[in-house]
Amino acid sequence: MDNAVSVTQLAKNFVLKKRDGIRWTQTQVKAVDGISLSIEKGQSVAFIGPNGAGKSTTIKMLTGILHPTSGEATVLGCIPWKERTKLARRIGVVFGQRSQLWYHLPPADTFELLSKIYEIKKDVFESRRDMLIERFQLSEFLDTPVRKLSLGQRMRAEVACSLLHGPEVIFLDEPTIGLDVIARQELRELIREWNREKGVTVFLTSHDAGDIQHVAKRVIVINHGRVVLDDRVSRVRRQYLSRKVLSVKYADTPESISLDGVKTLKESGHAFRFEVDTLAVSIEKVMSEIMRIGSVVDITIEDPPLEEVIAHIYSAPPAAAAGDEAEEEDDDGEA
Amino acid sequence: MGKYFYIALTSIRSRLAYLAEVGSKTIFLFVVLYIFLCLWKVTYAETNQTSLGGLTLKQMLWYLVVTESIIMSLPTIATLVDQDVRTGALAMQLVRPMSYPLNMLAQTSGERVLSFALNFFVGSIIALIFVGPLDLTWSAVAMFLMLLPLSFALDFTIYFLIGLAAFWLEDTTGLTLIYSRMTMILGGMLIPLELFPEGWQQLLRVLPFSAIVYGPARAFVTGDWHLFLSVFLQQVVAIIVFTITIRIVYNLALRRVFSHGG
Repeated sequence: MDNAVSVTQLAKNFVLKKRDGIRWTQTQVKAVDGISLSIEKGQSVAFIGPNGAGKSTTIKMLTGILHPTSGEATVLGCIPWKERTKLARRIGVVFGQRSQLWYHLPPADTFELLSKIYEIKKDVFESRRDMLIERFQLSEFLDTPVRKLSLGQRMRAEVACSLLHGPEVIFLDEPTIGLDVIARQELRELIREWNREKGVTVFLTSHDAGDIQHVAKRVIVINHGRVVLDDRVSRVRRQYLSRKVLSVKYADTPESISLDGVKTLKESGHAFRFEVDTLAVSIEKVMSEIMRIGSVVDITIEDPPLEEVIAHIYSAPPAAAAGDEAEEEDDDGEA
Repeated sequence: MGKYFYIALTSIRSRLAYLAEVGSKTIFLFVVLYIFLCLWKVTYAETNQTSLGGLTLKQMLWYLVVTESIIMSLPTIATLVDQDVRTGALAMQLVRPMSYPLNMLAQTSGERVLSFALNFFVGSIIALIFVGPLDLTWSAVAMFLMLLPLSFALDFTIYFLIGLAAFWLEDTTGLTLIYSRMTMILGGMLIPLELFPEGWQQLLRVLPFSAIVYGPARAFVTGDWHLFLSVFLQQVVAIIVFTITIRIVYNLALRRVFSHGG
């Protein structure tokens, strides 16, 4: 299989200096602790994890900015930290919290400058630029200084910038951070379109479950510097769909529920939230039990949101990262 | 090389977006030049000399126009590098097919050339009003035009190194302050080297500061060939030395942590 990204046992340690009285003590922090993964060309992958999990460090190693402590990686056949400039022509990078646009100049000027930096042929540049302007709807603010753009407009221009040189892989580090709902949807749509139509490999990090759900087909979860889950987004959801959340409101205080596979998540007054493992107990049984213990005023049944699924994965303790409990987690879903 | 030239042009264009702010500095230039004109007038009169340190009063004021324009056109090179390192913005620069030091050189040089031109223009008007035109020779202008870009390049290498210190130090503003004050005083911004004590002059001529400020300004007002050659040589040697140092330090720095946001 043709891989856009292959990573083997990649690790990065940082030295953390701490002041202990007047002495400085050094401790090694494992930001990335031996991750291995491969991404086929044209895939869209969400690379997620809690803050400090090692996401950005990994992206920085894969884009050639950081040297790893150990391990190997190739991106489009290049070793990123050794062939940074060569690789730079073939990849696009967007850091949601940093701008590549010139603040006082309109986006059109930055496009022009990037065409020189990437040494793009004039006709290629012009046709690609015009296409991006049309697709990303940039024409209305193309000649407005960046400082006067809204964040949504700016981010569209940012992503367009990183596609100008026709990259084969695009790394997006929290591209939707700070965007409103509509701007976020628009940007997701654009990224997905680019992935499907142009076959650009997408490597995305985000804290937004919606980004993952709408853009990526595969999700890699990293925590404490290790890969704790690597699966299709749809399957991850499905695994957790065996759990249902029931919100029940009683007319008065009901008896307590005692059924295997039913967990009380929240209780306030006469309202309850139960989590039901439908593999352990049938919904029918649970429903009749709920009806039996008290007089029900209102009831709703929901699937857990992807966000909760992610939170559940994140909350696995560090020792579990690649060990027993991570496997247990898999079993949970597949059982 | 074309891309770096274009970066410099873009930097000028960006700078033009807030020209008023750039221009407001020239008010300060007016004040400084006027005060020093008065001081030198008194000095020349009191000492009954027509020439001090080899310069007439007219040459002295034009010398000040050049030195002040050089100093006041200084872009915040070290601060820019320091911030890029500290905030992790450097990452954005490194994912491009270009060299970060050359990019910074191009960007800040564009800014500096524009700022120098503006300062020099205003300074010249002030000098023309107060002391009249300088007896310029074409060769002096040519010498000046050769020394000035090298002066900027040399100044850049030192500030860039100070900025890189952010990889190791918590704060580089102290270093920047010390270096900038040394350039002003030891570089001969206000007083030409000839008026320093004999013993000092030898030392000051070897230090890089004089190659940045004194050299180009003196060549401009005197058109002295000997001076030109020695300053030119001094600039080239210093640039080579500092460029090699940057290469070493920069490569070391890139292997260091920058975990911001990671």
